[in-house]
Amino acid sequence: MEPILTGLSILADPIAIAVILLGTIIGVLVGALPGLSSSMAVALLLPFTIYLEPIPAISMLAALYCAGTFGGSITAILINAPGAPPAAATAFDGYPMAQNGEAGRALGMAAVSSVIGGILSLIVMVLAAPALARIAHSFGPPEYFALAIFGLSMLASISGKSPVKNLIGGALGLLIATVGVDLTTGVERFTFGIPQLYEGISFIPILIGLFAVAELLSQADVVDRAMDRITLKAIKLPSRDDFKKVWKTILRSSGIGTFIGILPAEGSTMASMIGYNEARRWSRNGDKFGTGEIEGIAGPEAANNAATGGSMVPTLALGIPGSATAAVILGGLQIHGIRPGSYLFENQPELLYSIFAAMLVANLVFLVFGLVGARLFSRISLIPRTFLWPTVFALCVVGAYGVNQSLVDVTIMLIAGFIGFWLKRYGFGAAPIIMGVVLGSLVENSLAQSLIIFDQDASRFLERPIALGFFLLAFLSIFAKPLSNGLKGLKRRRAVNGGHS
Amino acid sequence: MRLPMKHGYIIASVTTAILSVSASTLAADFPSEPIEIAVHTSPGGGTDTTARMVALTTKEQLDSNVFVQNRKGGGGSVAMSYLSEQSADGYTVMAVTPTHLFTMMRGNAPLSIDDIQGVARATDDPIIVMVRGDSDYQTLDQLVEAGQQGTIKWGGTQVGGVDHIAAMSFADAADMTVSYVPFDSGAEFAAALSRGDIDAAGLNISETRDQIDAGEFRPLAVMADERMGALPDVPTLAENGMDVSFSTVRGYVVLKDTPSDRLKILEEAMLDGMASDRYQEYLQGIGLDESSIAGAETWDQQLHRMYEAGEKTMTELDLMQ
Repeated sequence: MEPILTGLSILADPIAIAVILLGTIIGVLVGALPGLSSSMAVALLLPFTIYLEPIPAISMLAALYCAGTFGGSITAILINAPGAPPAAATAFDGYPMAQNGEAGRALGMAAVSSVIGGILSLIVMVLAAPALARIAHSFGPPEYFALAIFGLSMLASISGKSPVKNLIGGALGLLIATVGVDLTTGVERFTFGIPQLYEGISFIPILIGLFAVAELLSQADVVDRAMDRITLKAIKLPSRDDFKKVWKTILRSSGIGTFIGILPAEGSTMASMIGYNEARRWSRNGDKFGTGEIEGIAGPEAANNAATGGSMVPTLALGIPGSATAAVILGGLQIHGIRPGSYLFENQPELLYSIFAAMLVANLVFLVFGLVGARLFSRISLIPRTFLWPTVFALCVVGAYGVNQSLVDVTIMLIAGFIGFWLKRYGFGAAPIIMGVVLGSLVENSLAQSLIIFDQDASRFLERPIALGFFLLAFLSIFAKPLSNGLKGLKRRRAVNGGHS
Repeated sequence: MRLPMKHGYIIASVTTAILSVSASTLAADFPSEPIEIAVHTSPGGGTDTTARMVALTTKEQLDSNVFVQNRKGGGGSVAMSYLSEQSADGYTVMAVTPTHLFTMMRGNAPLSIDDIQGVARATDDPIIVMVRGDSDYQTLDQLVEAGQQGTIKWGGTQVGGVDHIAAMSFADAADMTVSYVPFDSGAEFAAALSRGDIDAAGLNISETRDQIDAGEFRPLAVMADERMGALPDVPTLAENGMDVSFSTVRGYVVLKDTPSDRLKILEEAMLDGMASDRYQEYLQGIGLDESSIAGAETWDQQLHRMYEAGEKTMTELDLMQ
């Protein structure tokens, strides 16, 4: 208890509070502006944090990270351009809502569910961080493979489009993920001699292309048709009824996010995808997802913010960053002479609790920011399309270029845009493609690693209980519906037969 | 015949005079513009973090700004093509790691080892043969024996990188069989080692100091010419009759044609910066000491030596592609 109180005492330090606020505001801004990423912002702030004490310095970066994840949802909703990979799933229903003239409702819901998800996960972290660190440590390649298989089991059902088309999209995503040097063989695949493709295709250009550029092309197609003016209900915030509808989704996604977040790897992106899919699975309006369902925002947003807090656990306890931004925060720890690792929790437990306290402040600040901002930002959806989209296009180019300062990335964005536009016309969704890209290298590398560890004997997966659990979940996720339908059918037939006899 | 010759001589000497004057005035002004350190990775990770520390401490020694620019891709080849397109004026510095040397060896870089000039070395982190604290292998000999009779599962980073080539060289020298398990980062295979998924790994002290202190990991040998100050009781592979020396080194280079007085200014600024308390604390934090730091001459020689040794190993082990 004492380290918790020492850690929380950071909230009484005015300098610490000031830099945490600064970090939060920068985080929301860079998260929301395509082209500026929170990993870049943290990298640029690193040299300045050296003039601070270690704990406020790391707290500031953690607050920035937290706020950046939320900021990414703003552009996802307004212009279908997720500012960060974890916000991709928010665009599925957020952007349709903005188009229906409900931008404020969507933004407000994103803010509230983010904050609830974030705070719930922080409470769990404060209570159980060392235990969670042990769970994260027990995840080896076989467990990751099983988790990735569970993720892939959702491919067919992740969007309301036809399951076959979803699977084709997922396969395309997996194919994109094979580009680059293969980890286990060192062989270059599909790089065509382009050095920028050597480390694989970056995620952000694909995301901007499939979402924003594809949408721009669709908009260009209909620009000559008359459109109803969107009314001022656009700036309305979510109602009490909305919250009644989504509270279960928020709770469920917070749990998913907290758990997935503590696993090193693209934690928050995967968490938001799973959060979205589970929201859809359990919703009464599941088939309306993708057309502007408010649960489709609460699901991923609660999950990705819960995962952001969670991802500090593997970063600190294992030195394995959960995302690009966490990787830079790891560098920040080293600059301040803090060695991440399982001994950090024993030697400096108060650091961990200070970071959680900083993230708590960040959550409260962007709740205010998000709700006030929602009314302000939602007016963007009132801008006529002929003015809005050219501007969005400029932002897209800057955004794709900004990640690695690479024109190759801009080309990838444009290609992804055309492919996305074309696929959309033929009824394919972006969700399974993104899911495939996110999980592609994880599923492939963890399988290859596992098989070397198991001396090429795949049956030894069964010796790992956690892996077995995820395989079971994957099985249920695919077969639960057909099985229950089958059972119902059987019962009905029995009842009918019974009636006859 | 004689007149043009004379003319030529005069022109040449005048040109030389002008050039030497301009070079010395330029050196006096150097640096008058910001200096870029090109890094071949994304932000985060050891190379980027070290470069940011070096940029910060070097800047304090100079009147100019020093900044890090990430130029990711192609195992350093994007950063190397960028450097090759710049003029040799000392304003573009590139961070160099063993990765760059391997990319050069495979012929995937627009630069060769003779096109660059070492400025200073910032970290020197030898690879350590590491097993679990509760492992049956108490000594290097026991590990080698097990590897000669069966197979050792060995963790490292990507196939074709320094960890892989180090592991294969060691296996070759010790005549043992290694089954190589590649991971994305050192922290990942350190975790795999402590879980028992792998038998041994080539780890740096910067990643494992706490685990060694706590007895969770047992260092068996160091892949270096001399023993490490932090691990005085751990023998080197050389002591065991194996000429295998691999290290995670990070240093800085400029183009070969950079004027020597500018090189000198850069070298001094970097070395003074690295001597600062701030950089020393950083080094200690990651488990290293001041022996990591080296000036232009030592570092440049090391680069050439590493290149030749690497080329030999890769040809012998047939890892060129």
